[in-house]
Amino acid sequence: MRQTIPLFLFLVLIVVGISSAQVVEEQKSSVMITSYQISPEVLMRNDIGTITVTVNNMELYKSVNIKDARMLSRDIKVLSDSYFNIGRLGPGESLNLTFTIKAICPDGIYYPRILVEGEDAQNIRYSIPVTVDSSSLTIGIKDLPEDIFKEERARIELVVGNPRQNTVTAVKIVTEELEVIPSEVFIGALSADESKVASFNFTPQTKGAHVLNFKLEFKNGDNHHSTDLGVPLDVTESKKNAELILTGIEVESMSGMNVFKITGDINNAGLKEAKSVVMKVGDSEGVEAMHPYKAYFVGLLNADDFSSFELDVKVGENETQVPLVIEYKDEDGNLFTMTEHISIERHQGTTSSGELPLSVIVVLVVVAIFVIGAIVYSWKKR
Amino acid sequence: MLEVLTNPSRFFEARMKGEESLKIPALIILISGLIAGISAFLITGMTMELLREALPPEAMGIASTIGGIVAFIGAVVVSFVIWVVFAAIFFGISYTFKGEGKFKRTLEFVGYGYIPMIISGIISVIFMYYFVYYVFPTMSIPSVTDPAKVGEALEPLLKSPLMQLSSAIGILFMLWSANIWVFGLKHARNLTTKNALITVAIPVAVYLLWMIYQMGAM
Repeated sequence: MRQTIPLFLFLVLIVVGISSAQVVEEQKSSVMITSYQISPEVLMRNDIGTITVTVNNMELYKSVNIKDARMLSRDIKVLSDSYFNIGRLGPGESLNLTFTIKAICPDGIYYPRILVEGEDAQNIRYSIPVTVDSSSLTIGIKDLPEDIFKEERARIELVVGNPRQNTVTAVKIVTEELEVIPSEVFIGALSADESKVASFNFTPQTKGAHVLNFKLEFKNGDNHHSTDLGVPLDVTESKKNAELILTGIEVESMSGMNVFKITGDINNAGLKEAKSVVMKVGDSEGVEAMHPYKAYFVGLLNADDFSSFELDVKVGENETQVPLVIEYKDEDGNLFTMTEHISIERHQGTTSSGELPLSVIVVLVVVAIFVIGAIVYSWKKR
Repeated sequence: MLEVLTNPSRFFEARMKGEESLKIPALIILISGLIAGISAFLITGMTMELLREALPPEAMGIASTIGGIVAFIGAVVVSFVIWVVFAAIFFGISYTFKGEGKFKRTLEFVGYGYIPMIISGIISVIFMYYFVYYVFPTMSIPSVTDPAKVGEALEPLLKSPLMQLSSAIGILFMLWSANIWVFGLKHARNLTTKNALITVAIPVAVYLLWMIYQMGAM
């Protein structure tokens, strides 16, 4: 009996204690984190983003004084300060609290904790899953001509893909290559698992190996990222281009002042037509184009066709060659220029040496014979 | 008249029987002068073209026309002056050989000697016309801004083969004229053939040497 009474008293105390504790708990107000938002949704390593949590007062009639709110994480770096003495939150009201974070950790899923303490309210500990994924956008060649020819336009198509779980924005491809047009293609937003195509035109001016460098730029939230792409190309001479060659070149000395008339044929030995063919005398010291044919317009020259031309040029005493420039366009309007050098041979007919041309000497001899004949005849008759 | 070209000795012998008359010689000189005037007109047009940057465009047309007319008249007048000068020189030189006869007769016979130069003048005009209208436009001659340098600019033009041929033909026909003058002086001044030859040869040689020098051959 002596042992039964203390046991009974002990049980009563426990029951009373538990009951009084339940009364105290029921008096604290209820606050909850009802939602959260991460921007960008998925961070890349070293990205800076924000986590916004919504704290809601669940009480119907009672306001709550929120004392402080803080974010704790070992892996994700919290850049912003904690909130202190936030103030009272009316019944049913909510409050957004934003924390700035930086993903300094390797790829993975992390759970930074939010701690919210209130006066006469429950303390909240809430873990938010933050995904860090450093996968970048992909850029590759979608289409490229098999052969790229010098001075011919080639269309290059690049495809940009987004293997990430979130949408990235301000996607664009830029290039500093002078022979590539346009220099920038703006794509805009690219959703997860979406791809878009950008086209560039490449008109090489030299043959040989080229590497075209493109840069893919995009934003993940407010964070700028880029990816480089090098496109190796081999530029060759076109096999189907117009091929202009000169034949039957004749250089005729005109009377006086070292003026020469260059005549001949221009032939298209290629497989394509040459348009707007113009022949002119190139710039060179001691060489000057002359009227009436300073330049000669040939016009359209079809494959396997030819045309005659004529140019007048004044050549200095010491010059032995005349640069002859041939300009033409292909069907796309690309301008081609080639230069041929024509040798100038100074025969007796030229005046450079001060000697009289043969024809002049012949005329002179005939006249001299006539005059001398008349003189001799007059002396015989005297 | 054509006998003066083929047999000048007999022609002048026959003329000596008549009175001195300058009508026909003056006509010959006039024709020769008119032909020389055409050449001068063409050269003036070419010269004005060289001065196109020195003159305002509106003045170019007037200057070319006036310059051409002045050159034309000048050439005609100079032809008469040269006729008289040549005759005077021949008369003076023949004086040293005790030549006899009036100056008017010498002037008359020297005038007949200009007939070959009419032929050379026509040839010269044809060459000049071809040169000015067909060769000169194809030449690149820098414009002359200083009129004093026109002669310098014209020099290469006048040394072109066509111009040289024209000058050479002029020299040949001058020799033909000189041949006629020898027989003319022989009769007009009553000289021996040898003395007449010397009388004509001295001034003509000087004149021809000067012409050859001008052609740049010396």
